[in-house]
Amino acid sequence: MILKKENVQNLLDELSKSALVFVPKEVDGVLKFAPFKSADEMTLDIINTTLPPKDLLFPQTQKMYRYGIDADGKMYVDPSDDSAEQVVFGIRTCDMQSIVCMDDVFLTKGFVDEFYQAKRDKLLTVAIGCNKVAETCFCDSMGLDPQNSPTADIQLLEGDDAYSVVAQTEKGEKALESWKPFLSEGSVEVPKIECALKVDMTGVKDKLDRMFDHPIWEELSAKCLACGTCTYVCPTCHCFDISQENKMKDGVRFRCWDSCMFSEYTQMAGDHNPRPTKKERLRNRFMHKLCFFEDRYGKTLCVGCGRCVEKCPVSVDITCLIDQIGEFDV
Amino acid sequence: MSKIEISHGCAFGEKPLIPQICNIIGIVEETSDVKTFRIQTPEGKKPFECRPGQLGMLSAMFTGESMFCVADQGDDYIEFTVKRVGMVTEELHSLSVGAQVGVRGPYGNWFPTESCKGRNMVFVAGGIGLAPVRAFLSYTLKHREDYGTITLVYSASNKDDLVFKKELFEVWPNEPDTHVNVSVYHACDGWEGEVCYTAPFLEKLGISTENAAAVLCGGPSLYRTCSEGLRKLGFADEDIITTLEMRMKCGVGKCGRCNIGGKFICLDGPVFTLAELAGLPSDV
Amino acid sequence: MSAIEDKIRIRTKELLESGEVAEFIGWGKGRFENQTSPLFIKDPSRVDELVYNDYCVNTLGKYAYQMKGDGKIALCVRGCDARAINRMLSDKALNREDVYLLGIPCEGMRDRKTNEVLKKCQECRHHNPVVYDELLGEEVEFPLPENRFVEVEAIEQMSTQERADYFDTVFSKCIRCYACRDVCPCCTCNQCFVDQREADWQGKQSNIPENRFFGLTRAFHVGDRCIECGECERVCPMGLPLMSLNRKLIKDMNTLFGEFEAGMGDEGPDVLRTYKLDDVEEFM
Repeated sequence: MILKKENVQNLLDELSKSALVFVPKEVDGVLKFAPFKSADEMTLDIINTTLPPKDLLFPQTQKMYRYGIDADGKMYVDPSDDSAEQVVFGIRTCDMQSIVCMDDVFLTKGFVDEFYQAKRDKLLTVAIGCNKVAETCFCDSMGLDPQNSPTADIQLLEGDDAYSVVAQTEKGEKALESWKPFLSEGSVEVPKIECALKVDMTGVKDKLDRMFDHPIWEELSAKCLACGTCTYVCPTCHCFDISQENKMKDGVRFRCWDSCMFSEYTQMAGDHNPRPTKKERLRNRFMHKLCFFEDRYGKTLCVGCGRCVEKCPVSVDITCLIDQIGEFDV
Repeated sequence: MSKIEISHGCAFGEKPLIPQICNIIGIVEETSDVKTFRIQTPEGKKPFECRPGQLGMLSAMFTGESMFCVADQGDDYIEFTVKRVGMVTEELHSLSVGAQVGVRGPYGNWFPTESCKGRNMVFVAGGIGLAPVRAFLSYTLKHREDYGTITLVYSASNKDDLVFKKELFEVWPNEPDTHVNVSVYHACDGWEGEVCYTAPFLEKLGISTENAAAVLCGGPSLYRTCSEGLRKLGFADEDIITTLEMRMKCGVGKCGRCNIGGKFICLDGPVFTLAELAGLPSDV
Repeated sequence: MSAIEDKIRIRTKELLESGEVAEFIGWGKGRFENQTSPLFIKDPSRVDELVYNDYCVNTLGKYAYQMKGDGKIALCVRGCDARAINRMLSDKALNREDVYLLGIPCEGMRDRKTNEVLKKCQECRHHNPVVYDELLGEEVEFPLPENRFVEVEAIEQMSTQERADYFDTVFSKCIRCYACRDVCPCCTCNQCFVDQREADWQGKQSNIPENRFFGLTRAFHVGDRCIECGECERVCPMGLPLMSLNRKLIKDMNTLFGEFEAGMGDEGPDVLRTYKLDDVEEFM
């Protein structure tokens, strides 16, 4: 089946009747996934949004529960659930893979994160294959295919005037029912593309296993500002803090993004900080991406979206690091 | 002597991030800045079942949450021993019996109570580090026939900083085949016992390693010196069990901050043997 | 340009080989065309990795502060870098004898993608370094940029509601990565108010009130010390117009206390830390 480009707007209008539909677009100068509005100009050709779509599942600030003291003087806890049906339309392979990684974190290993799960269950993922790549894109070096997101519910591939449409999951098939009026028979020609930026991941994990005390961390962290830019634009970074806001006799406990690059992140009550300088913090971040996550979940936590490469204020570049590791004899 | 086997990543649960409101039903002032809180649900039940060494998240609801090792438990309560070091603990210390707190858990793994069966147990702790050790020590005393000689080596900066004084001086020494050795770092009036650091104290006591397992918990410097001290006595790293501390927020291996390499202290730990830790990166 | 690059390499080599400095901070090549990145060199054989071209967008001054205590360091200073050094000297965050400054007259840096002169360089008032130990190349002459308060005046023209909406939009975009703070040569607090967890000044939630609190508090804390390097605005991943906050303060200070530019000398104190009997006191 194909979806003619002229029908996209109508389809999104239809989907918006029963769900919040997120599309890549520019909002006040920031490229991100934001709610579709009928009057929007279609910007599905944005190669890579500045902010990843992770906040659809893992908002930067998420209310977990209200608590407080009721009229009888008893403490109460009232869990929140603000999850609603959501569609992410036009997600790219890299960001789709980041959801796979977050699923591993939040939904496996003994505990299911109820807040993530509520949102995940209600998210329909519609991927669009990339026909263009940015200079910082390197997903195909991370074992991904820019034109194929196997875990997306629905995969679109872009031709000249239409998208091919394939449901890849049960959820996707069910969703396609309501798409029918906008689909037609046909096929599209999709140009094959690959990323210009290449890295070789062969042996990187094994070498990193032996590189905890390597001088590279001191060297690379010298220019690092220890800001949180890389972690906040990263689609897979999922660390969070838990905090609260009180108003008189009530309060809200929320969680919010946190960054392993911040000194406060591992600062313990008392004085001890196991990762006292930016060297330890930067090392932990890169080792987590390229080594620790694989130990735990069997995949790398970098999806090759290139956002940190693009946005780092001082050009700390994970692809350069991967190149360097490749050259080391450890 | 069978190998000590520690389970990792074995905790599980539903709705792990939402606390239940519980009551403080008892408070023991251990030292000027350490209190033990006995916690129970409003229905008079135990907040959760747990094994010795497991963790619980305790919250002063309006201030925040902090992770503690469950120091002891009974049929209808659990206990946390809390040192006043930050905002949350400050707030907890201001509470009195009857106050309401949030509790969630249990998290993390537990001491290898099974594979230590039949062994002589050597517990080594410093300061507030006795709290997690106590959980295991109490367990061995409750199951006395399963374990051999029980030896505790415990130190604190001075006499007033010793926690669990009642247990240390009245209860445990009277248990069968149980040896309690206490030292302080700084001499003071009214203290007639040992004055020395934990590691030399260990050496001085000349503890036998025969068929023994050691359990170690204390601050970074005690951890360093006493793991070395235990090795000098002849303990193999496989037979030294420790419990680690790191800043924790979620308790369920999601929020990220308590990792050592690919392991999360809150989920895979906090209990490890030194041999296991040797295989992990060193940022603790 | 390449003449300066050559001189940087030659002098760096000499400085490192003679042992006069322990480390040199300049710029090296990045992965992409026309990309550069701060480069730290200790080994004189690596000086050929140093580059100097139209795309050396990073101001280096802050690194001198970060590396304090690691021995004497040398670094390249243009107008912005030099004022950053002065800034830290007058804040006593740095000792003059701990840095060796290779002055570079600067003609403005360009964005590697658009090839346009960076906004911060278009607004630059001091292309020549205002402090250095030696100057590589001839001083450049640049007309002062036109009114640098255009953005501020536009905001001042807004109605109260328009201004509130404008700042709501600005701060709704902030992701609180703190890159602005971390790159700022004025932000040399040992512990930023944001990180003072116990004091709890700054809520961790990202929303307009908290983001605005951060942005404004930082602007006020930088206060009279802003050297207008524009790095905060350049590094902001969300493109917040942060210099308009700093310039509003500068504009008001100029009006209240007379024209003043921070970082032009290494003597303090600056206007907000100077009390004069004839200071205006409209706000009292």
